[in-house]
Amino acid sequence: MRNLVKSLIVTVALSAPLAAAPGALAQDAVSLPNLSYRTGPFAATGIPLMNGQRDYILMLNERDGGLNGLRLDYEECETGYNTEKGVECYEKTKATGIVTQPWSTGITLQVLPKSNVDKVPILAPGYGFSAMQDGKTFQWAFNPPASYWDGASMILQNISGGDLSSLKGKKIAFLHLDHPYGKEPIPLFEKLAAEHGFSFLPIPVGLTEMQNQSAQWLQIRRERPDFVLMWGWGAMNAGAITEAVKTKYPMNQFIGIWWAALDADLKLVGEQGKGYRAISWSYPNADAPVMQDIKKYVVDAGKSMINQAEGEFDWVFYQRGVLISMMLVEGIKVAQDHFGTKVVNAEQLRWGLENLKFDEARIKELGAEGMIPPFSTSCANHTGHSGAWMLEWDGTKFVKASDLLSADRAPVDELVGIEAKKYAEANAPWPVNEECKL
Amino acid sequence: MLYRIAGQYKTSYEADHALFPVKQDAWLLGAILLLAFVVFPLTANEFAFRALLIPVLIYSLAALGLNILTGYAGQLSLGTGAFMGVGAYACYKLVTIFPELNLLVAIALSGFFSAAVGVAFGLPSLRIKGFYLAIATLAAQFFLVWLFQKWAWLTNYSASVAIHVPNIDMFGITVAGPTAKAITQYYFVLGVVCAVTWLAINITRGRIGRIWKSVRDMDIAAELVGINLMKAKLSAFFVSSYIVGVAGALFVFLWRGAAEANLFDIPLSFRVLFIAIIGGLGSILGNFLGAILIVALPVLLSTVPHALGLPIAPSTVEQLNVMIVGALIVTFLIVEPHGLARFWAVIREKLILWPFPH
Repeated sequence: MRNLVKSLIVTVALSAPLAAAPGALAQDAVSLPNLSYRTGPFAATGIPLMNGQRDYILMLNERDGGLNGLRLDYEECETGYNTEKGVECYEKTKATGIVTQPWSTGITLQVLPKSNVDKVPILAPGYGFSAMQDGKTFQWAFNPPASYWDGASMILQNISGGDLSSLKGKKIAFLHLDHPYGKEPIPLFEKLAAEHGFSFLPIPVGLTEMQNQSAQWLQIRRERPDFVLMWGWGAMNAGAITEAVKTKYPMNQFIGIWWAALDADLKLVGEQGKGYRAISWSYPNADAPVMQDIKKYVVDAGKSMINQAEGEFDWVFYQRGVLISMMLVEGIKVAQDHFGTKVVNAEQLRWGLENLKFDEARIKELGAEGMIPPFSTSCANHTGHSGAWMLEWDGTKFVKASDLLSADRAPVDELVGIEAKKYAEANAPWPVNEECKL
Repeated sequence: MLYRIAGQYKTSYEADHALFPVKQDAWLLGAILLLAFVVFPLTANEFAFRALLIPVLIYSLAALGLNILTGYAGQLSLGTGAFMGVGAYACYKLVTIFPELNLLVAIALSGFFSAAVGVAFGLPSLRIKGFYLAIATLAAQFFLVWLFQKWAWLTNYSASVAIHVPNIDMFGITVAGPTAKAITQYYFVLGVVCAVTWLAINITRGRIGRIWKSVRDMDIAAELVGINLMKAKLSAFFVSSYIVGVAGALFVFLWRGAAEANLFDIPLSFRVLFIAIIGGLGSILGNFLGAILIVALPVLLSTVPHALGLPIAPSTVEQLNVMIVGALIVTFLIVEPHGLARFWAVIREKLILWPFPH
């Protein structure tokens, strides 16, 4: 008996690598690591995003056999949104991976200074440091298609009806996570508040009080702001939305950033959440060809990890995950075309991400029509400024509630210039891309 | 056999009270130091340095600081994370205000800031004990983290409200910041940890250490034999917070590279406390063993399925990891409630007798 078990173990141990080997040898491949967080306090928001990212790449491998014959290996390294684990994962993946997707502002801050040394591009779509827009300073970091400062500017435009001076005398509360991520837009809000004469009231929510925001909402009730803007994440969003319902704050005056648009959070309140809006650079469209292909090749084939009973396939976050992987793969494709090579390395991918062109035609070709606004990056501009739509919760799902908005460039760019310079000075000697003439 | 002490005669009191009354202990330590100073640097890759060796050393140092307070002087503290933060922020301010300051000096000085804060929050220990004191140090934890968040001067008004470690040279070699090599940082940390450990061993074995132990075992009795309780307790807070502050500065400058305020929140304090408790309160060796168990083991475990080629999703590995490490902690505490250091002591005693148990 003992011998039998022993020989079984030996056979399994020997055959496992053998079974995997032929596939690995037959094809060229690149490793695309993702610092995922399917565990921990932010898992609820992480899981649909990670699933979307994973399924898009699986779909490409199934449908097209990869990208121009290059197999794409999507690999997750679990961080639990913990910066310590994030650094560990970064060290683990930087040797083989051609990209770093840090997935948390904290981890982004840790890996950003190392990007110049390790020469691995950081892709942080729609998050990270807003000043990463300045591609000359942050050569290796990308945050397409819109930054938090873009988002802040677009929200203000939308609530003011396109004219910020109409906000004069109004009171805007800013409910945010007390964390680098939540504080990110404060400088811009303060600047605009001073220019346009509205009063700006930041209300922080500590990491430990995310689920219980009664103190914050008591303050909101007392101050009676004309609008509440929210920079929340994970459990904080559900907490804020239920608390807003409880205190009967008018939902049509409550607006969130794109990370505060998780369908599951609003399903908790259902009808009562009607009127809640969130700015978003992505829009879910389950009928788009790319989504249909994912359904056909991945979901229906039983390879996806999504929760179909909850309808995760239609969620804003799941489909945003798809778009994030789409940007990454497009970067690889641009690099392939430019360098005339099949296997792209980190340096070439950097060039690719710097020359993304998501115009109407290309978005249609990719099968993502109406899911993402057109944008393009350059060596000077690593964000691309796609603009965004306002999404509104209609009681069961998010629907588009505005035309495409675009941020006021002047105040944002000014702030980007100041902050990028400050960062480079604080981290001197910091190499700046001199070749970029844009 | 291996640990035969027959034939090692002590002919003087000094010899009997030497650090290593048994020769084999000295050899063992020599072997470990050889491993740390020569073998690891020759064999380790960057991942091993940054994810295993450096964090283990830094956490050991932090646990050592806490152990002096809790294990030797018997004052329970839940504010370790915040005191580490004080060390880190102080070091950051020193380095940015005086850019030409040697980093070693800056780290040594930043310990004094956290020592001062530690003494201030240690004052309640003169009136209260045990769990009540733990609550008072918990207040330090909350207050200091709040201060780190609100006082923008501490981060030089950075937009991201975080410390970013600049590139710092020492004698022409970059020791901190993004361009620093992992091996340099390892040697730097190893040097500091060895020096502080040597100091801690000497303090705890000497007069001051005995005063602390007597206060821990029964403070009324200690007072009756003429020990000044105030001096004893506050000196324990001072030394402990100093070491913790140095560990905090190393934590950010030689390892993390960037830090935001909530890094120093309660989870960090608990982590260090667990290392100290599982390693063994009232021992120096225990801190290192505890740090290996709590910091290094999860990292090693998470690489096992991949190395074996098992197709397990990384998130599942993470969950398994938590379960395995949790089970190990419980097992160790059941087998030996006094911690890993005690575990080693038992093994050593058995080895001395082996193979003749009588």
